Amino acid sequence: MLAIAVPAAGVVLAMALGGRQAERIALAAASAGLCIALAIAANIWQSRTPIAYHLGGWAPPLGIALRADGLSAIMAVTTAVVICAIGLFARQGFSVPEGAQEARAPMVFWTLLMGVWAGLNAVWFGADLFTLYVALELLTFGAVPLVSLDGRAETLAAALRYLLFALLGSAMYLLGVALFYGAYGTLDIALLSGLVRAEPVVWVAVALMTAGLIAKTALFPLHLWLPPAHAGAPAAASALLSALVVKGSFVLIVRIWFDTIPSLLNQAAAQMLAALGAAAIVFGSVLALRQERLKLLIAYSTIAQIGYLFFLFPLASAPLRVASGTTELWTGVAWTGGVLQLVSHAVAKAAMFMAAGLIAEALGHDRIAGLGGIARVLPMTVFAFGLGGMSLMGLPPSGGFVAKAMLLMAAVAEGQWWWSVVILAGGLLAAGYVFRVLTPALAATDAPLTLRTPVSSGRQGVVLALAICALLLGLVPLRPSLLLEVGRHIPTTVIAR
Amino acid sequence: MNAAGTLLGAALALPLAMLLACLSSRLRTKMPALLAIAPVPALAAALLGSGGTLALPQMLLLLRFTLDVPGALLLGVAALLWIAAGIYASAWLQDRPDGGRFVVWWLLTLSGSIGVFIAADLVSFYLVFSMVSLAAYGLIVDDGTPRARRNGLIYVALALLGEAFLLMAFVLLAQGIAGDSLLIRDAVATLPTSPWRASILILLILGFGAKIGLVPFHVWMPLAYRAAPIPAAAVLSGAAVKAGVIGLIRFLPLNVATPGWGEALVVAGLFSAFYGVAIGITQRNPKTVLAYSSVSQMGVIGTVLGMGLAVGDGDAALSVGFYAAHHTLAKGALFLAVGVAQITGARRLWPVVLLPATIVSLGLAGFPLTGGALAKLVVKVPVGDGIVGTFMSLSSAGTTLLMLHFLCRLAVSSAASATSTVPARLALPWLAMALACVVVPWAIYLTVMDGSIADVVARATLWGAFWPCLLGGALAIGLRRVGGRLPRVPDGDIAGVVVAGATRFARAMGVLLERLDEVLRQWPVAGVALVGVAVVLTALMLTGR
Amino acid sequence: MNAATLYGLCSAALVGLGLFGAIVHPQPLRKILAFNLLGGGVFLQFGVIARRGAAAGMGGDPVPQAMVITGIVVAFSATALAVTLLLRLYQVSGSATLSIETQSSSESDGGGR
Repeated sequence: MLAIAVPAAGVVLAMALGGRQAERIALAAASAGLCIALAIAANIWQSRTPIAYHLGGWAPPLGIALRADGLSAIMAVTTAVVICAIGLFARQGFSVPEGAQEARAPMVFWTLLMGVWAGLNAVWFGADLFTLYVALELLTFGAVPLVSLDGRAETLAAALRYLLFALLGSAMYLLGVALFYGAYGTLDIALLSGLVRAEPVVWVAVALMTAGLIAKTALFPLHLWLPPAHAGAPAAASALLSALVVKGSFVLIVRIWFDTIPSLLNQAAAQMLAALGAAAIVFGSVLALRQERLKLLIAYSTIAQIGYLFFLFPLASAPLRVASGTTELWTGVAWTGGVLQLVSHAVAKAAMFMAAGLIAEALGHDRIAGLGGIARVLPMTVFAFGLGGMSLMGLPPSGGFVAKAMLLMAAVAEGQWWWSVVILAGGLLAAGYVFRVLTPALAATDAPLTLRTPVSSGRQGVVLALAICALLLGLVPLRPSLLLEVGRHIPTTVIAR
Repeated sequence: MNAAGTLLGAALALPLAMLLACLSSRLRTKMPALLAIAPVPALAAALLGSGGTLALPQMLLLLRFTLDVPGALLLGVAALLWIAAGIYASAWLQDRPDGGRFVVWWLLTLSGSIGVFIAADLVSFYLVFSMVSLAAYGLIVDDGTPRARRNGLIYVALALLGEAFLLMAFVLLAQGIAGDSLLIRDAVATLPTSPWRASILILLILGFGAKIGLVPFHVWMPLAYRAAPIPAAAVLSGAAVKAGVIGLIRFLPLNVATPGWGEALVVAGLFSAFYGVAIGITQRNPKTVLAYSSVSQMGVIGTVLGMGLAVGDGDAALSVGFYAAHHTLAKGALFLAVGVAQITGARRLWPVVLLPATIVSLGLAGFPLTGGALAKLVVKVPVGDGIVGTFMSLSSAGTTLLMLHFLCRLAVSSAASATSTVPARLALPWLAMALACVVVPWAIYLTVMDGSIADVVARATLWGAFWPCLLGGALAIGLRRVGGRLPRVPDGDIAGVVVAGATRFARAMGVLLERLDEVLRQWPVAGVALVGVAVVLTALMLTGR
Repeated sequence: MNAATLYGLCSAALVGLGLFGAIVHPQPLRKILAFNLLGGGVFLQFGVIARRGAAAGMGGDPVPQAMVITGIVVAFSATALAVTLLLRLYQVSGSATLSIETQSSSESDGGGR
């Protein structure tokens, strides 16, 4: 499938041609990739059926299949949009200096950007568990060096911690893969979903894989690597990591739960995942409130926002209530809300990290206490930060608002109202940390701020455009939700209690 | 969509279009001069557009707007106040280089403030309600002093808390609706039979109560109004607060008797009504005094709505709308008066400020033949003559006392130079609003409310309106005697204590979680947690079925 | 006890040892080695599965072997990457520990770029 091939080819080409060409190749690949993602989404939207592609014509179980359903299409489009924005944003920070033939950081950055993208697309489209494992590793190996791009000791340490913890997670995932293969002799998700039975080996495998992936998603309490890694990386890389990379492993958990074992969804375990998510929301938000540096604040906010995603599990898997018969509708609402949260957080968080990057670049530091009056000099950037913050807070008409409203509706309708309390409290706490930044930023200062480096309005514009995307996501929730239903396994079996 | 609907669209579109124009810095510098134009279509819509409906195209969430009679009343007076305050703000902004920022917040608040009176479905109501609530933050912190920022934060914290309550209430309301209509009308129709009736009512009263400042949510009012610049304080206290009033009117099931809840609202309202007076008379800043008067007046509105709710009196909506309309005009006018008084020399203070201010203030207290007397007459129907009616008369006496105190504080706040005069562009909006306080209620009373003059001049009515004022006057004389011995209550009375307590609690929690974070981020702990998660998940899956 | 079970038990033991080492040892190099041990256990598990496929009548299930080869490549590159990072860290900071557990969050400015 072209979607993976283009960025992968980009990697190879950039390696081969080197230096000055890398940036151009990356940007060309980015625009081509965006077109491909849109074409896939349009195709699925029109045909209402998932697209499947068998590599080399070999059908599963022996061949490797790629499969694009509604979720993959939406994630691919989001990825392409965010990567394009990051690419445009990074042109200035990672351009090869005049006169030099090649420079290390830009070369590494552009190749890894393409590498991460190829990994992400492989995660969205992979249709068997082992392909997904390889994709996940590709993603990790791309993401880790991005953290330590500037080569300082603490970012190197952060990258190493990230890598080691992620490897621990992947080993657990791979063990689960082995168990699945040992039990059923195939790893193709579609075939597996027809074969799985309620037996201990499935539970152990799913638990191992889920735990491993949670470690890579940095769900509380397994978040040890995230704050230093995301806060230490350059702004463009942080945006990529926070917006997309952690979502890769999350989508894998979704694939396992809702696509591989749709008939065996377990409410108790789902409730536990949501409980961890709830803890993440409270914990991440409170810690974000206490950070002194802007990028650490945003990193902790990522921990909190990841928590919302895990409400998807109990809410979208609630057993059908035969009496009312309406639950299927509500699991659909939860599903849409969860994915919308995935997308809107990706877009908003990318915008916020890049805005923070511009502020840090302009001031030479990112201490929140030293932001006084920055809104006067970088109005577009602060505005973009505020818009992204609106989405995190869940204020209308942002995508975050619609996502949270949908999760709330589903929680109440399915009788799981306790999650709604956390969702609302999380919104208030998010408001707290966003205002903590905006209040000094908007304040008047006596002495005019002097910027260390001027910031081009083009880069500010990219950030703002992305933030406006996050805002407008809330206005078009109805149509993509139909797209999302394509290829979704609706848990139709009535679970006997 | 019809002609009236188009007017509704224009009412929203013009401020939003001006907001868009602000993106260009060249247009932004011109914008302060045009502030007064933005609300004009809204005024036209209020006068001509009653009954109009407007549905935005389907792809945009299907936002729907409509204008009913209470909405039109409030929309009209709010637009009038926005125009007057806009003229005042234009003049006030004239010498400021950075007026553009103020204009952006102003237009945002204005759009939301117009929107709440015409929003017909849950989503659009929540959208415009958030707009008016949160954009007001920018107006409050306009002067950028640490005090203003602190007060602004307290305001925005309470506003967000209120919105969280409302969001939950709306989510619960939406569950009851059959089909995918999200019209407020349909949602409220299902409320009396909803399984979550109690929760929804509590959440609605808490959410809108935070907006209209029912005790103990009132703390933001004195803090915010004192921090905000004069024109902003005028529109916030007059127009923006009415978002809460229209919310209660729209969402409380006034057509169905809901005993218990109505009485609870009455008690909360009456408490606010007297509490506002009691704290207000200890204050010295005229803006703070006015803010406490708002607390008191919103308490009265809560009381009237509570009576309507208790007996299921659907007409209470219109009565409350009328009462709130008068309050919009009077409170907005008086805030402008504070601004005018500050730059008026002592010699000209009487004709320009104090005389009209006295008439408006007494109107607020319901002095016979003023607009306020009409408002009190109208709400007498839902309130009745019982014990609550007596309390309402007593609260009028309290208002008289508070307003006389306000006039005293106003009189000593004149400009340093005894002969300085006010520019006409600042004085005229104030005088026009003062005139509107008398004329507009009469016009509405005779047309929309179908009132008769005979009712107003009946001896019982006149006396009923007069004796609370007399009592209030006597109390005011008493207050002047003992004035010096009253305790000095800080503005925002309990805010200091609550904020300090909340900060302490938050800090303790923060430290606790930070320690937890340090523990959890150690390798061995995280590794064990990882294994633990896997084990617990396995155990749950094995046993959970 | 047949060979497959024995191998299975060995693989379980390797996984356990690897996990224990990765969690307990503070030095990164040991963690990397422990991870390789863990990986070896997982690959052995695949071997057991291939063997069990053989027991079912085939001459030996080739798919797990293909996976093991891929897995080994992945694990090798992971190790290479980790060791490179570790070396860089040693060059830059003069020590190769991850003991900056908590100070990395509180170190002041400079990290914002």
